[in-house]
Amino acid sequence: MYILFIVLSVGISLSIYLFKKEIVTSILSIVFLASLVFTSSYAYFNINKTDNIFFKYDSLGVLLSIVLSILSITTFYFSRNYLKKFENNPRNVSIYYSALIMLITAILTIYFSNNIAILWASIEITSLFVSSLVFFERSKVALEATWKYLFVSSIGIALAFAGILLLSIYASNDGVTDLSFDTLITVVGNIDTLWLKISILLIIAGFSVKLSVFPLYAVSVDAKTIAPSPINALLSTVLVNAGFVAIFRTFTVVAHTEILSWTQNVFYIVGLFSMFIASIQLLRVKRLKRAFAFSTMEHMSIVLIGLAVGGIGYYAVILHIILHSFVKAGLFYQIYQIHSIFKSKWIENFSGYFKINTLAGITLLVGFISVTAIPPSGLFVSEFLIFKALFLGQKYFIAIVALIFLTIIMYILGKIFLTVLFGNVPDEIQTSKPNYLENFIQLSFFCLVMYLGINQPSFFIDLINNAISILN
Amino acid sequence: MTYLFIIIYAISLIYFALSERVKKFVRLLFMQGLILFGMVFFSLKEIEIYEFIFVLTETILIKSIVVPWFLERVRKHNNLKRIHEPTVPVFYSVILVVLSLIISFIISDNILDSKFHTQFFTVSFASIIYGLYFIIIHKNIFSHVVGYLIVENGIFMLSLSVGNTMPMMVNLAILLDLLMGLLVFGIFINRVGNTFQTDDVNQLTILKDL
Repeated sequence: MYILFIVLSVGISLSIYLFKKEIVTSILSIVFLASLVFTSSYAYFNINKTDNIFFKYDSLGVLLSIVLSILSITTFYFSRNYLKKFENNPRNVSIYYSALIMLITAILTIYFSNNIAILWASIEITSLFVSSLVFFERSKVALEATWKYLFVSSIGIALAFAGILLLSIYASNDGVTDLSFDTLITVVGNIDTLWLKISILLIIAGFSVKLSVFPLYAVSVDAKTIAPSPINALLSTVLVNAGFVAIFRTFTVVAHTEILSWTQNVFYIVGLFSMFIASIQLLRVKRLKRAFAFSTMEHMSIVLIGLAVGGIGYYAVILHIILHSFVKAGLFYQIYQIHSIFKSKWIENFSGYFKINTLAGITLLVGFISVTAIPPSGLFVSEFLIFKALFLGQKYFIAIVALIFLTIIMYILGKIFLTVLFGNVPDEIQTSKPNYLENFIQLSFFCLVMYLGINQPSFFIDLINNAISILN
Repeated sequence: MTYLFIIIYAISLIYFALSERVKKFVRLLFMQGLILFGMVFFSLKEIEIYEFIFVLTETILIKSIVVPWFLERVRKHNNLKRIHEPTVPVFYSVILVVLSLIISFIISDNILDSKFHTQFFTVSFASIIYGLYFIIIHKNIFSHVVGYLIVENGIFMLSLSVGNTMPMMVNLAILLDLLMGLLVFGIFINRVGNTFQTDDVNQLTILKDL
């Protein structure tokens, strides 16, 4: 079944690229989105079943695929508006859509892959399509970001591959190699702990490009600074979630071995270090998108710390990445509006957004409350649970240091948001009519996050508990 | 016979440290492709026909013909002759590559795991370390790609050292990696060369927020 989806997506992507006609692109995009929603629903109704030997519809994959489906639909909608100014260049528009479709397909493959080699290859494929999307505007700065992203993520992925090779050393039996996660979990105990530790370090270092954390975070932040805003809404959410899936699945392999506490310490170090870097770098940012890219880095650091602490932290981590996806996507859609009103990308040129466009101003304010985890934001609940787990686990030092960094980050983000929202309207800017549908979509994402924070539906709780059952 | 190829591969790493001409890098990569083929050919005990074809495609066709040919084209397009920015003198690079070889020999000697084929591990580890070092010391993006390919060759040997028979999936992954990396890198080197009129990474700094 899943193979069919891949074949269909590749076919659609190729047809869009070859035909370069607006009508064909629109129809095929709708077909693709329908098939994406269908595949996610199919996965939900066939939960915990394997498809082929390479794919499995597990709870984590299903949850994230639902998020992916929702965000893909809105991203296609916002992309239409974004691409209006490129109407006279059908070639680039067709490349945009066909790369976007392939990127979404590769991300869904990462969510459902039950085989570490498939997961790795899909992550590699995402690099290729992210690059072509980052390069969309064909500017000098886009070229630089694309080059750096491609190069560093290729190096990272090569290192992760070396880690996977070491991890799969005992997975081969009588010449037949089975690299499924279930097999890896059963044979991992045979591997020498030194090799296992080296392998974990290589895998974390390699996939850190996708998760946007230390050590290879820089190119990912650069890519998010340059990529078109609708694409950013995917790069900072579902792609980061794909990086999380890769790290999570690797973590499940070592979760019942003697190196568990060592791995947890690595996660603490990577998490705290990333948070430290994000707080320092945020002091220097001058572009709004860059500020949000570092905010993503901060949230992923919290996720890593939550994964390390365990217990209630596991539940909070899954909740956090889902809620973060909606908040960040909403904010990136809003950034596009800000950029088009002020016709600039630099924070110094933004002020008086409330007076220019009140509805969008309110949306941005709600977005600010959501992203900085101020109640009633749902992210407050997940962060609260992670810190509760830290204090219960007597990790006082880590909790306090993390709280200090979070406070700094909150202060800087607050300063940036207040600069954009209030102050005098620049002379050359005129008040504009709000786009009700766009703001409605963003506001509904923020409201959904608040709702899910306060009242999680029972099927949602079951899915999260199912996803983390392997760790408990 | 496998040992002979392993030794030649180690020597090729030292040659990399000694060379300064871009043309020589391309030739050395061609050589490494051939060496890898020899290594695999003599180490696979019972080679099946489809495996043989696959290994042949991967090492001879991709690593020795397609990759160097592509790099040579990029080199000519960008008119690259000599890497004239030695941030680290050649002498130190040679010492480093020799040291990395010695260290990886010592590490391999201490591996007791029966699943490991230590003879491959020696050079593969040195190759990965040297490839990363090669990227760090060079400022030219063409050399960065060469460094990346040295790391790739190291990883190819690592895959030999952890498995008796080569799993098809793993091989396919390496092939995909190489093809994708090379095609895209080639295209981008040309673009970077045309747009920035340089291949020096120090010129690629407009992304910073300062």
